[in-house]
Amino acid sequence: MPPYVIPDKCDGCQGERVPMCEVVCPGNLMVIDKASGKAVCREPGDCWDCMTCTKSCARQAIQTRIQYQMAFFPGKLIPLVGTHSVTWTLIDCHGHVERFIMRTLAGEEDEET
Amino acid sequence: MNVARERVYIDADILIIGGGTAGCLAAYEARQVGGDDLKIVILEKAFIRNSGALSAGMNALNMYLNQGTPEDLVSYIRYDMCGAPVREDILLSVAELVNETVAMMEQEGLPIKKKPDGSYLNRGKWNIEINGSLLKPITANMAIKTRARVYNRVHVTDLIKVDDQVGGCVGFGVRDGKFYVARGKVVMVCAGGAAGIWRPRGQGDAHHRIWYYPFNTGGSYAMCKRAGAKMLGFDSRLVPVRTKDTYSATGTLAIGMGAPMVNAQGEAFMQEREEYIKMGGHTAPTPIRVLAYCREMENHRGPCYMDTTRGDPERVEGLKAQYLDMAPCLVLYWGCNDINPAREPIEIDAADPSIVGAHAACAGAWTIGNSRMTTVERLFVSGDALGGAPSRFISGTWTCGRLAGRSMVGYLKERRPELLGLDPAMVDALEAGVFAPLERFNRCSFYTNGDPMDGVSPGQMEARMQNIMEEYCGGRSRWFYVNETNLGIARKLINRLRREQLQYLVAADLHDLQLAWDVINRLDVCQLVVEHIDYRKETRYPGYVNRTDYPGVDEEYDCFITSEWDPNTDTLSFFREPYEQIVPGDRKCQTL
Ligand SMILES: Cc1cc2nc3c(=O)[nH]c(=O)nc-3n(C[C@H](O)[C@H](O)[C@H](O)COP(=O)(O)OP(=O)(O)OC[C@H]3O[C@@H](n4cnc5c(N)ncnc54)[C@H](O)[C@@H]3O)c2cc1C
Ligand code: SF4
Ligand code: SF4
Repeated sequence: MPPYVIPDKCDGCQGERVPMCEVVCPGNLMVIDKASGKAVCREPGDCWDCMTCTKSCARQAIQTRIQYQMAFFPGKLIPLVGTHSVTWTLIDCHGHVERFIMRTLAGEEDEET
Repeated sequence: MNVARERVYIDADILIIGGGTAGCLAAYEARQVGGDDLKIVILEKAFIRNSGALSAGMNALNMYLNQGTPEDLVSYIRYDMCGAPVREDILLSVAELVNETVAMMEQEGLPIKKKPDGSYLNRGKWNIEINGSLLKPITANMAIKTRARVYNRVHVTDLIKVDDQVGGCVGFGVRDGKFYVARGKVVMVCAGGAAGIWRPRGQGDAHHRIWYYPFNTGGSYAMCKRAGAKMLGFDSRLVPVRTKDTYSATGTLAIGMGAPMVNAQGEAFMQEREEYIKMGGHTAPTPIRVLAYCREMENHRGPCYMDTTRGDPERVEGLKAQYLDMAPCLVLYWGCNDINPAREPIEIDAADPSIVGAHAACAGAWTIGNSRMTTVERLFVSGDALGGAPSRFISGTWTCGRLAGRSMVGYLKERRPELLGLDPAMVDALEAGVFAPLERFNRCSFYTNGDPMDGVSPGQMEARMQNIMEEYCGGRSRWFYVNETNLGIARKLINRLRREQLQYLVAADLHDLQLAWDVINRLDVCQLVVEHIDYRKETRYPGYVNRTDYPGVDEEYDCFITSEWDPNTDTLSFFREPYEQIVPGDRKCQTL
C-alpha cells in the first residue's frame, strides 16, 4: 500500500523545520522533489506499508493505494491522528464507508472526532 | 575528484547499533544501573521513533505470564520449537522479568486491553492484547528520556576489530554522506533479523509486501559473523503462514478468536486428519502447523483458510479494528476485495522465509552464559541478533534488552575496559570499503538509458541472490524442500556472488549505497543459511526446512550447532555445544 502524494495538498512542509514524511520513513523512501518542492515516494515497491508517513502528514496529503495486483480499484483508508487515538475511515471499492476509532496512548479518553 | 570525506568520531561507554525494541530498552536499563555519567550512544539507520519491526504497530504482546511459572513458559517455547534445544538459561532470565517490563511499559503510555475485572485481556496462556499502533514511539521514548545520544540515519556497515576484541563500528550517514567512526568500551549489536533473503511473493510495487520488516537486512548477523563471533540457528528459518497477499499476522485469528485452519473442503485438518492429530493437532508446534498447511496445498486440498466463521463471534466483529492497530493494509485489502472477515473464512498462504532470533526461530549469535556477550570480547547482542532463545517477541525483547543493558554495565564495572586505539591506516581502509560501491559508480560509463555499463545495481544483485535461494535453498515455490544437491548449487552460486561479483556492485547515491550494503549483508546471511542447513543432516524443524535426503530426526544433532567464520578461507568451521536442559520434563510436551 505505497503512499502517493496529492499535489494540491502537499506544500513540502514549508511551515515545518523539515518535511515530516521524509523524517519518519523507515525505508528512507520519501523525498522532496527539487523541481516541484513536493514530496514523492522514490520507489513505491520498496515501501512496507507501515503508514507512518501517511499518519505523520498534518496536511493529509498522502494517500495510500493498495497494489492493484492484490485488489480492486478504487478504495481508500484514511487515518486522522488525534492525541490519544486515530480515527480511521475505510471507503471500500463500492463506496461504502466505515469508521473506526482506535486508542493509541493510555490516559485521557479521546476527543470524539 | 578526491575531496576528503567528512568524518564524525564518536566515543561511548556503551555503543548500541540499532535503536529498536531491544536497543532502546538496553539504553534505558544501562542508565538505571550505570548512573548519570555513563555515555550511551545509539546509531540508528532510520529514525528511531518509527524504525524497526514495530514501525507499523502491533496488537499483542506475545510473551506474558497470564498464569503459571517462568518454567512453564520455557517448556512451552521448547515444545513450540518441536522439542529442539533452546537456551533455557536465557529464556528463564527473560521470563522471570517480562511481566515487570510490561507493567513498566503500561506506565509509559502503552494501552493494554483489560477484562471487566481490570486484569489484562489475555490471548491464550502467554499473550495479551494491546492497542499498539504507537508501540515504537513509546519504546523509543525510553531511550530518548534516558538521554542516550541518538544518531539517526547512520547506517552501520561493520564492526571494528582490534586484535581479538571489538572496539567500535563504522558506517555512513544516509543523508549527510559522512563517514562515521564510533568507539565503545562495549558494543551491542541489535539491528534486527534478515528479510529479503528469498524471493518475495508479490512482485513490482508489491515486492516489499512481505511479513518481516524489509529494512532489517541481516546486518546483525553479517557483522557478528565477520567479526568472528560464533553463530547458530540459521537452519531454523521462520516460514510465516499468514493472510494471503498481505502476509499480515494470523495470531489474531488463531489464538485471538479460535479460528481453525481449514482446507478447500472445509475440513479443520489439524483436528480432523489423523496425520496431524498425531503431531499435536490444533496446538501443534509452529513449524508443524506450517508443515500441515503446506501438505494440504501440495496434495491439492487448497486453498486453505482461517475459518473466522467458527471463531468467537464477539471477537470476530472487532476484527477490522484489531488489524488497524497492526496491519492496516489488510483492512483496505478486504474493502477492495469484497471480503467481510466476520462472515467468511480468510485465505492464508506461506510467505518467503525470514531469519529471526526473537520470533519463532533461533538465528543469531551464540552468547556466553547469561551475559549476552558473544564469543568475541566486548561484543554483546540482543533482540533478533541473539540466537538460540526463540519466542521472546516484543515483550521478551524489551526484557532481553534490559538484561543486556545490565550485563554491559556489570562488565564495565568489573573489567574497567578502556577505549581501544585505532590504527589510522585501518580506519582509512574501512572508509574505502564502506564507500566503494559509490566510488565505482563514479568511474562508470553509462548506456543511453542512464544505466551503468560497468556495474551491477543493488536491485539486480538482490534479485539474483533471491532467485538462487528460492530455487536451490528451499523457497516457497519449492515448498521449503532442500537436499544436498541443490544446497551444493546454492553454495556454489552464492559464493560466486560473494567472492567474484561484489566487485561490480555500484551505488548511484547514498540511498543506493544503503541498498548495496543490504545486499552485501544479506549475502553473508545466505552463506550462514546454506552452510547451517547443509551441516544439519536431519529434519528437526519440519515445515521450516524439509530435507528430502534426511527426513527424520537424528539424535546426533540434539545439541546446539555453532559456526565460526574464517576470513582467510571464507569458510565456516562448525562446533557442537552441549544442550543443558534446566526445566525438567518431556521436551515434546508442555507442562501447562
Ligand atoms: C510483522 C511482525 C509482526 C510481529 N508481531 C508480533 C506481535 O504481535 N507480538 C509480539 O510480541 N511480537 C511480534 N513480532 C516480533 C517482535 O516484533 C520482534 O521480535 C522484536 O520487535 C525484535 O526486536 P529487535 O530489537 O531485534 O528488532 P527491531 O525492533 O526491528 O530493531 C532493529 C533496529 O535496528 C535498526 N537497524 C537495522 N540495521 C541497521 C544498521 N545496519 N545500522 C543501524 N541500525 C540498523 C533498525 O532500523 C531498527 O530500528 C512481530 C514481528 C514482525 C516482523
Ligand atoms: S508531510 Fe505531507 S505536506 Fe509535508 S512534505 Fe510530506 S506529504 Fe508534503
Ligand atoms: S508507508 Fe512506511 S515504508 Fe512506506 S513510504 Fe510511508 S513511511 Fe515509508
